[in-house]
Amino acid sequence: MASATAMAIAPEVLARPAVRLLQEALGERLRAASDFRGDLAITVDRRAWVDAVRLLRDHPELAFEMFLDLCAADYLDVEGRPERFEVVLHLYSVSKKHHLRLKTPVPESDPRLATISHLFKGANWFEREAWDLYGVVFEGHPNLSRLLTHDAFVGHPLRKDYPQGQRHVLKSPKQMLLNVPAGSEHLLVNIGPSHPAMHGTFRVQALLDGETIVDGEAELGYMHRNFEKMAENRTYWQVIPYTDRLNYCSSFMNGHGWALAVEKLLGVPAPPRAEAVRVILSEFSRIMDHIVCIATNVVDLGAITPFFVMFRAREAVYDLLEACCGARLTVSYVRIGGLAQDVPEDFAARCQQALASCREAWQAGHELLTRNIIFCKRFRDVGVLSREDALSWGWAGSCLRGSGVAYDVRKDHPYSGYEQYDFDVPVGTLGDCYDRYLVRMEEISQSLRIVEQALAKLPGGPVITDDKRVALPPKAEVYSNIEALMNHFKLVYEGILPPPGEVYGYTEAANGELGYYIVSDGSKNPWRVKVRPPCYNNYQAFPQMIKGAMLADAVAIIGGLNVIAGELDR
Amino acid sequence: MGLLDLFQGKFVDPTYPGVHLRGNVITTTLDAVVKWGRRSSIWPMPFGTACCAIEFMAFTASRYDVARFGAEVLRFSPRQADLMFVAGTIVDKEAPILKLIYDQMPEPKWVLSMGVCASSGGFYRSYGVMQGIDEIIPVDVYVPGCPPAPESLIAGIMKIQDLIKTGRQAKQPQRAASLGANGEGQFERRARRGAWASDDAARAAQGLPPRGVLGLKAAAPDAKEESHG
Repeated sequence: MASATAMAIAPEVLARPAVRLLQEALGERLRAASDFRGDLAITVDRRAWVDAVRLLRDHPELAFEMFLDLCAADYLDVEGRPERFEVVLHLYSVSKKHHLRLKTPVPESDPRLATISHLFKGANWFEREAWDLYGVVFEGHPNLSRLLTHDAFVGHPLRKDYPQGQRHVLKSPKQMLLNVPAGSEHLLVNIGPSHPAMHGTFRVQALLDGETIVDGEAELGYMHRNFEKMAENRTYWQVIPYTDRLNYCSSFMNGHGWALAVEKLLGVPAPPRAEAVRVILSEFSRIMDHIVCIATNVVDLGAITPFFVMFRAREAVYDLLEACCGARLTVSYVRIGGLAQDVPEDFAARCQQALASCREAWQAGHELLTRNIIFCKRFRDVGVLSREDALSWGWAGSCLRGSGVAYDVRKDHPYSGYEQYDFDVPVGTLGDCYDRYLVRMEEISQSLRIVEQALAKLPGGPVITDDKRVALPPKAEVYSNIEALMNHFKLVYEGILPPPGEVYGYTEAANGELGYYIVSDGSKNPWRVKVRPPCYNNYQAFPQMIKGAMLADAVAIIGGLNVIAGELDR
Repeated sequence: MGLLDLFQGKFVDPTYPGVHLRGNVITTTLDAVVKWGRRSSIWPMPFGTACCAIEFMAFTASRYDVARFGAEVLRFSPRQADLMFVAGTIVDKEAPILKLIYDQMPEPKWVLSMGVCASSGGFYRSYGVMQGIDEIIPVDVYVPGCPPAPESLIAGIMKIQDLIKTGRQAKQPQRAASLGANGEGQFERRARRGAWASDDAARAAQGLPPRGVLGLKAAAPDAKEESHG
């Protein structure tokens, strides 16, 4: 791992506006800046943390108005790193279309850093999480308490010296999330974590005045199964099955994002056929995910017919995935550098079948819902979030586009050959539940368009790279030729060895920008993996959005945010 | 074929014990009728937390249609349910809630552990994940898979029907003993071996045999059968 301190800044990096402006403002307090695989990373002194973030957000030339991710990393006993911890912030500018990684070292003896939760609303939970998992104290944070782990937990589990298997038993859950003043006439209602409208394991407490919500608070961590700690003890390809279980409504897309991030780190692209198949299956997964979101959302509102009608299309896509890789839900079909195996011979016909089924479901959904008077009354003007707030919370995907920001990674930073396909990015005008619903419906139709185009020009050739450091040789060669056998053995035994460095790989998953921040120390296991879970940011705004709304509206809002527990809590 | 035919005994084997007057009179026990009713109208409560809950939805939706087994009336209130589907990973934070909801279900009740996470922790051998729900609640049927295909879940619900028919029910959490046994290095085999070795040495210094080695006196003749959890 490269030393973080006293690194000379290369002139071409210094010419970048963010580095130049930060150096003018901070002077000595700018410690380092580097460009690795196209990712600009800047390290600042921790005394300059807030100033740097404010400058990046407010300077018109930079305009990093979108909060992506904040996390900590533990560099225990790493040579050249006098400070043990590092806090890493990822920002994006929707207007300038550039990313930035801002880092600051934090020593173990005094693990303190000023909060930026007043600059970006979305930073609130991320800082709590960093404190929870690493023990970095964010000074000035409004509520620095356990987020993903529980109250009986001792220690900070993502620290390198915390044993992976050490559990702590919780006997009773936290009773109160909200402070109810004594003598208050308001009614406190606890919803979840096991509640049909909570889609899994979220917990919300609402303080009611009649049926109006006066105050609300959310709790998460009821599905925190430690993807990030597990990934640190796995090789790069062993992580793939874990990614399937992040957003399990559209498993394939998570693996797609992971493979792209590792390929970016390695500098090894996948062959065109693999990329085209990835696009086709990703778009089908997006359709499935949107169907789950819409169908279960309206089930909560009392309409069960769309669920039965639209879920038929999911079964059609499941059949397609099953034909490709043998699994329905948790597919594990991607590999670093390509795909596990080629698609079946009748792939095109199967895709056509799935397309027809999806089109039918889309049509039926529109007929059942879009102009349904009850549905419209429940959805229109409910849960409005403005464009600025959505960016500050770090919203992404359909929810962000519902609020009127036309940011789509597939369009703005095309990957896997998305630039070849003709599709539109739908946006909402108001930012209410109905807009989010319409955006999702339109995205289903755009995804169908993309699949048709990709299918029409599906290239031939191999489905996995022939780079021997990354992909296993074909089985037939392993059995017939000693070199391939040795290659196979070495690769299985030693794993993929990427160069030391760090990348942020991002794709447009069903819920929005799914980012993987990977730190490699050159060994076969990643040093640190951080997922930027899109629905984490979406859910974070939820307690604020329901204030002043009716209790029944809260149910309509949460379904439309499509919060998936596996991705939320990782 | 209508109800009238049934009354006329067309579906009833007239030679069957308990069938009299060519099927016009059937005698049986109340217990058998109750069990028949119970197993044909299971009211499941889905305790869905993760990926398995998505497959559970497929199991209840159009194609697999759980209504064929009389179990389509999903109850989200534990007080109205007699079968709990635990679908998904249960982490230590969720555990007290699972226990609470299980306790709220009225007797008789059955539990189906769907998927490897609920059954054994699955491939999440880590700091927050319960290594199987049978640490805190009794489990009647384990359905393996990650997630199980709906077909396996159908097999699981038929197993539950068998259990109801024969009147069997798990009463104790099978692996209650391992709850809380989660000290440092529970999953690190090397560390565990080290801990055992030092424990053995300490006992040897006191003149005791290693733990787990039973003296002849220790094995009581009427020792109850260990659970197979």
